[in-house]
Amino acid sequence: MVSKTEETQLNRLENQVDNGGGGAWEYLCLVRKLKARRSEKVLKYGLSILNDPEKRSALGPEEWTLYEQVAIAAMDCQCLDVAKDCIKALQKKFPESKRVGRLNGMLLEAKGSWGEAEKAYSSLLEDNPLDQVIHKRRVAMAKAQGNISGAIESLNKYLEIFMADHEAWRELADIYVSLQMYKQAAFCYEELILSQPTVPLYHLAYADVLYTLGGLENLHTAKKYYASTIDLTGGKNTRALFGICLCTSAIAQVSKGRNKEDKESPELHSLAATALEKDYKQRASDKLGLLTSALRSLKT
Amino acid sequence: MAEDLVLDTAIRDWVLIPLSVVMVLIGILRYFVSKLMLSSQVPDPKIVKEGQVIVRARNLRAAANFIPPKSFRSRRVYFSNEENGLLFVPKGQAQNPQAQMFSDPNMAMDMMKKNLSMIIPQTLTFAWVNFFFSGFVAAKIPFPLTQRFRSMLQNGIDLSSVDVSYVSSRSWYFLNLFGLRGLFSLILGEENATDDTQRMMQMSGFGFDPSKSLGAEKDGLDILQHEWALPKFEHRAEAVLKKLVR
Repeated sequence: MVSKTEETQLNRLENQVDNGGGGAWEYLCLVRKLKARRSEKVLKYGLSILNDPEKRSALGPEEWTLYEQVAIAAMDCQCLDVAKDCIKALQKKFPESKRVGRLNGMLLEAKGSWGEAEKAYSSLLEDNPLDQVIHKRRVAMAKAQGNISGAIESLNKYLEIFMADHEAWRELADIYVSLQMYKQAAFCYEELILSQPTVPLYHLAYADVLYTLGGLENLHTAKKYYASTIDLTGGKNTRALFGICLCTSAIAQVSKGRNKEDKESPELHSLAATALEKDYKQRASDKLGLLTSALRSLKT
Repeated sequence: MAEDLVLDTAIRDWVLIPLSVVMVLIGILRYFVSKLMLSSQVPDPKIVKEGQVIVRARNLRAAANFIPPKSFRSRRVYFSNEENGLLFVPKGQAQNPQAQMFSDPNMAMDMMKKNLSMIIPQTLTFAWVNFFFSGFVAAKIPFPLTQRFRSMLQNGIDLSSVDVSYVSSRSWYFLNLFGLRGLFSLILGEENATDDTQRMMQMSGFGFDPSKSLGAEKDGLDILQHEWALPKFEHRAEAVLKKLVR
């Protein structure tokens, strides 16, 4: 995931290049390093460098990495001719390369010829059965074709071998949530929290899933995870603040008959409400009325 | 006897500096040769999977306090279950890694290549140093040493009355061997083939031993006490919000 400083640096470079200052090559390198997805800009500036033979020869051996980057960006923007040209140039230079074979497979995918792409990927996998990127492309293909259960199956098989790949876990969690299989999604989010416990995003998503599952224990756990998100983000995460209020009211509703007092954090709910009101006053004061009425209805 | 021997500056010009230069050049040569001879290793799927299992088990141990106790327990059972847990290696099957390494022809070839590329230049350089640069005092070590080092450091000098701090060029060769590692990592970047000392350390502990590390992870997981850290977070969130709202 991109950190904040890197993101600001990226945006600054982007503005600089947009407004005519130089630095296109640094921008492209940074995008490649951070694996950010800014395909239109990459395509525009990459092509401007590649079409200028002077600049191209100034790059030296990095020229081929640029070809690859521009090819992928072109496929993302559906400019398939540009992509085909880049891949042809790469194929001339590296005829037996697995990377170029992978790009060919991606081109077939972009064109929509799923059967051929599948064949290309399987043949690549035969030579190199442990190539992570090709496995992931197959999952993406299954997902794009709408075959979600197939995607889940291949992703599970992938994770059986490469179980430390947290991006794959994240994708799986997304798919499960879209299919409303919340218990499995909760498991995936737990894996994510285990591998990166200080990322508040995963705590928040886990709390959301637990809140959706419902049930008293889950609601208590969800409240705890919303609290940890607030702690990790310094109280600035609006969703977590809302989550606390909703959880508290839901718990109160579920345990209406019993007299179970919340000994752990009696003030959390009111504090969250106050923080929300303060935030809204600062940023969206016209909606403050809506907020106060919503919070009041939650309290009752 | 503690008299100071005056060493000819010609020694410095014609012995110390050329020796260092030659060693640097040989190191660079070995680096490029190793790049040429690099054979792409097809990773064994079992080993990859075991590596990943270990990473996941380690993550579980490190961040166990962040997930609810029920999930932690179910995961622990999944890993250390007696029948089909991931980390469980039955005693009979724990393969002797040495035998495995020699039976796998690719790995044996690789090890031999690496060993050869290390041994041959070292032997040659050592012989060259001994032939050309022996029989005289090359340098003086700035700190005093005991008499035991005499045989090691003063091999060409047959006078027993010379102070042990005056050493022959063989010791300069050894000094360079271990000291130029830092210089190489500067010139050639990390991961260069001249890292002999690291390789020598690796040779003693024979490479990747998956079954032992799996067993170690399993033990670590078994003794872990789960202490759910989340309730603490509620209090901390309260404190944070209090500060914010104030």
